[in-house]
Amino acid sequence: MPETIQRDSLIGKRITKLDAPEKAGGKTRYIQDLDVQGQLYGKILRSARVHAKIKSIDTSAAKALPGVHAVITAADVPYQRPIGVAKDHFPLKTDRVRSLRDEIAAVAAETEAIAEAALKLIKVEYEDLPVLADPNDSLKPDAPLIHPEPHGATAKHDHLKQAQGIAYLGKPDNIAMTFDYQQGDVAAGERESDVVFEDTFHLHYVTHCCMGVSGIIAEFDPSGNLLMYSNTQVPFLHKREFAEILNMDPARIRIIQPPIGGGFGSKLDIYPFEPITVFLAKATGRPVKLVFTREEEFLASPTRQPVILTLRSGCKKDGTLTFRTVRTLHDNGAYTSWGATTPFVMMQTISSLYRVPHCLYHTKAVYTNNPYAGSFRGYGNLQATFAVEQHMDMMAEAIGMDPLEFRLKNAQDPGEVTPQGMHFKSCGFKECLTTAAEASGFLAKFKANEADKAKPGRFKRGVGMASMLHVGGGAKIYPSDGCGTILKMDDFGSVTLITGASEIGQGSETVLAQLVCEELGVPLSAVRVINNDTEITPWDVGVHASRTTFIAGNSAIGAARKARGKILDAAAKMAGLNAADLDLRAGHIVEAKNGTVVMTLAKLLRQLHFSDKAELVVTSFYYEPPSKHQDKHFKGDVSAAYAWATQVVEVEVDTDTGIVRLLKVTGAHDVGRILNRLGLEGQIEGGIVMGQGYALTEELMVENGVVRNPGFRDYKLVTAPEIPEMDVRFIETMDGEGPQGAKGVGEAPAICIAAATANAIYNATGVRIMALPFTPEKVYRALHAAKKEAA
Amino acid sequence: MTALDNYVAPTSLEQAVVQLQELGEVTILAGGTDLMPQSHAGRVKFKRTLMNIRRIPELRGIVREGDEIRIGALVTISEMMAHPLVREHLPLLVSAGDHFASDQIRNAGTVGGNICNASPAGDTLVPLMVLGAHVELASKPDDTLFRRSMPLPEFFVGPGKTRLAPAELLTAVRLPIPPKGFVARFHKFGTRPALDISAISIGVAGVLKDGTFSQVRVAFGAVAPTPVCGCATEEALEGKKLDAATIAAAARAAQDEVHPISDVRASAWYRKEMIHNMTKRILEDVSANH
Repeated sequence: MPETIQRDSLIGKRITKLDAPEKAGGKTRYIQDLDVQGQLYGKILRSARVHAKIKSIDTSAAKALPGVHAVITAADVPYQRPIGVAKDHFPLKTDRVRSLRDEIAAVAAETEAIAEAALKLIKVEYEDLPVLADPNDSLKPDAPLIHPEPHGATAKHDHLKQAQGIAYLGKPDNIAMTFDYQQGDVAAGERESDVVFEDTFHLHYVTHCCMGVSGIIAEFDPSGNLLMYSNTQVPFLHKREFAEILNMDPARIRIIQPPIGGGFGSKLDIYPFEPITVFLAKATGRPVKLVFTREEEFLASPTRQPVILTLRSGCKKDGTLTFRTVRTLHDNGAYTSWGATTPFVMMQTISSLYRVPHCLYHTKAVYTNNPYAGSFRGYGNLQATFAVEQHMDMMAEAIGMDPLEFRLKNAQDPGEVTPQGMHFKSCGFKECLTTAAEASGFLAKFKANEADKAKPGRFKRGVGMASMLHVGGGAKIYPSDGCGTILKMDDFGSVTLITGASEIGQGSETVLAQLVCEELGVPLSAVRVINNDTEITPWDVGVHASRTTFIAGNSAIGAARKARGKILDAAAKMAGLNAADLDLRAGHIVEAKNGTVVMTLAKLLRQLHFSDKAELVVTSFYYEPPSKHQDKHFKGDVSAAYAWATQVVEVEVDTDTGIVRLLKVTGAHDVGRILNRLGLEGQIEGGIVMGQGYALTEELMVENGVVRNPGFRDYKLVTAPEIPEMDVRFIETMDGEGPQGAKGVGEAPAICIAAATANAIYNATGVRIMALPFTPEKVYRALHAAKKEAA
Repeated sequence: MTALDNYVAPTSLEQAVVQLQELGEVTILAGGTDLMPQSHAGRVKFKRTLMNIRRIPELRGIVREGDEIRIGALVTISEMMAHPLVREHLPLLVSAGDHFASDQIRNAGTVGGNICNASPAGDTLVPLMVLGAHVELASKPDDTLFRRSMPLPEFFVGPGKTRLAPAELLTAVRLPIPPKGFVARFHKFGTRPALDISAISIGVAGVLKDGTFSQVRVAFGAVAPTPVCGCATEEALEGKKLDAATIAAAARAAQDEVHPISDVRASAWYRKEMIHNMTKRILEDVSANH
């Protein structure tokens, strides 16, 4: 036993993720690797038409195929209820299909091959309806309705009256959702302006491309309890929602999450395949496993929200911003998922990234027959930032100010409460701007490139910057944003942390374990994290809004501090010392002032074990600090803390081909405090690459409701040689409410890249492109058009 | 479910062509890198018999025969790239291989398979064409082994379609050893540096002597249903000095003679622009480096 131990900390160190050996070794058992005794395989028949009435479905031949246990259609599940954010979506379609992904029938069979063969035997008769492929067309007065009141609704869907879903009620127009917000008086703002710009930006479809495709196993036990192995990001919300959809007692539903092969927001909603698999399990009395093919993943999982955004903004000659007016048209697709609610986040960037006195904001999400959008890392912020940050550069140029100075003049400071009501208790925005600019040599390069722009030569260099604001301390979206923790200590000094927070690859297990180590002075190897079973773990709102480190981290610290108090009290009593003079270090109880070892933690815990006060299990919870939630006009605070970042992108544009190469990204991120430096670098680098894909290569091509590139051959993810050099700097603002001062960072790094790349292309070529992605052909066309115009 | 009736794995060329003659409807498996994904996607249907030709020794190896180099149909892209004869005499195939899919696919995919797959964007086809390749075909209609040969450009009929007869096997590709002063370039233009299907590709070859370009061969990929010869471009270059005027004329001829389609990878307009710009770039490179 050592005689003295000095205080050590894991905070800020480079810590390998707890699940890294398993994942790197190929030993992780994802849903694909899980099999349940007696399981059948489920497959879904999807629509062959983009928009049509279903005249008839004949499943007799499929049912007769040997090895088939069930073939179900909407008629077999009259109890099904609509799912989704607006409850406008039946898992199995009743009278019509509204997009090519629509689920018509499902099969459970002995093998996947038999299930596949059975699908081919199902005959469906359609009556085509006119296709709405452009959200502008959906708003025309004579546009066909995507969700008309179902024929014979009253009789057929009587049981749905309580659900109040629009699948029952129908919709009198094609508007799925609207958001309206106002601060100040934009007309007054415009009158004060010396420079005004108005432009329309087009944001495209991309999809998450999780390495692990969607999948579920559903199983009923003989007592009627439902067990689901599910990749959901929000197990506790889903437990309740599944209960509603299935008309079950929520207490009878258990969700176990196998390790999840990527989420990025895609697993935040319930999708038809999940209740359908439950229907199949119910119909067969057997466990049913349903896993998507990669093609199905492209066709039938959610996308990022496509947006047509018109932005009008102004400033004074001295660089003061005056107003912003925004109108957006969100292509909602055929059904409503989280994508329709992205204006909620976009609004924050528009009103509060910079100080803008006057704002007016109207958004509409309208139904079309296209794929529908869900939640995706950044949640509307990439789209808003793309427009806002391009206008920032345009206005700066118009008044002859450099982009950095213009931004610094309008950037938020700590302590600011914005007109929308967001309170920036910690704010490193200006430090982000100056750090990223200095580290990248932004100003010198910006001026040099500008001077070189008109010179002959095939390759042009450009540099561009963009900044972002995003929630970093939970999000007040639901009535409460909380997380519970159970912490258990065993006889040997090991800790089991049972948390409501799910791990979806973001590294939360590791960070939570570190925070516990910090309080209990145990090595990381002494901590186990249990986080994937609703029957065991306490409640949590789910993985979204970059909230886990902040909310679950504070919850874990709360539990660990409770345990620490108990341990030190017991040790003090035993050693005849003051608890306040003791500390926990490296698995030992020591005297705080000089590190003299008093006893090992394991020994103390074993002695407690035999005492009558052996409370070695503690519980705790954390809710975001009380503050005013947003009112119905969207005024108020949305998070306990906010994250800030500036990214500078350097590009090379090949004017012969239009190929844009990202040479370097310099990022400065206000993360509150670094907890796991390695994990943080991973998050930021991954986010930058995701942002790069959004900016340059990725596009889900949808034509007349048909996805034309449902595979990695023509849906172009960024490959290794394209990844730029990265220089990432961290700004530590030590947030007063954050766990050890930290703020959320999960979404932040993906947000700025497209906007910064647009600005860099302009710096390189003098051509501004307001539609994504910047594919070689699009860039070449823009350069070609500019050349023609000049000539 | 695709139920195969029959699986055969002949161990000699003789045995293979006899079985082809007898069995009629046969799907050939070589590297499997095109066959497997295409059958999974439903674009290729398995015929009654699957013939694995991977055990036929006569289809392997790269040898020099007189003034020709013979590359066996089963030679993988990786083997081709590493072979000393190819590296010495046909370096164009090494650089083309460098843009071919990924290492994993190059280790399995074969030269013969790439040819018989007959994709307009097939990555070895344009380089093989400008190197003057002939394909060697074998069959056994009666008691004697029948071999025939044809220039590669004639072999292609349409996407996935060739002049290979039903009972015939592609055994090798033959390439003349290039003469002194021979230069060749291949440019695969895609939107990313790795694992890409080309939007267009261009091959240029010829003999450069005292600044004059002769015996010119030009071929284009992904601009027509098959890889095609650039006859007008060849004409614009043949016997000319590679100066700025010739290069400009050749690039224009190239742009004018291709008739690509628009698809998810590129529009017809952009393909024609790139044919122009890349032809110009290749020729400028040739002119600058020789």
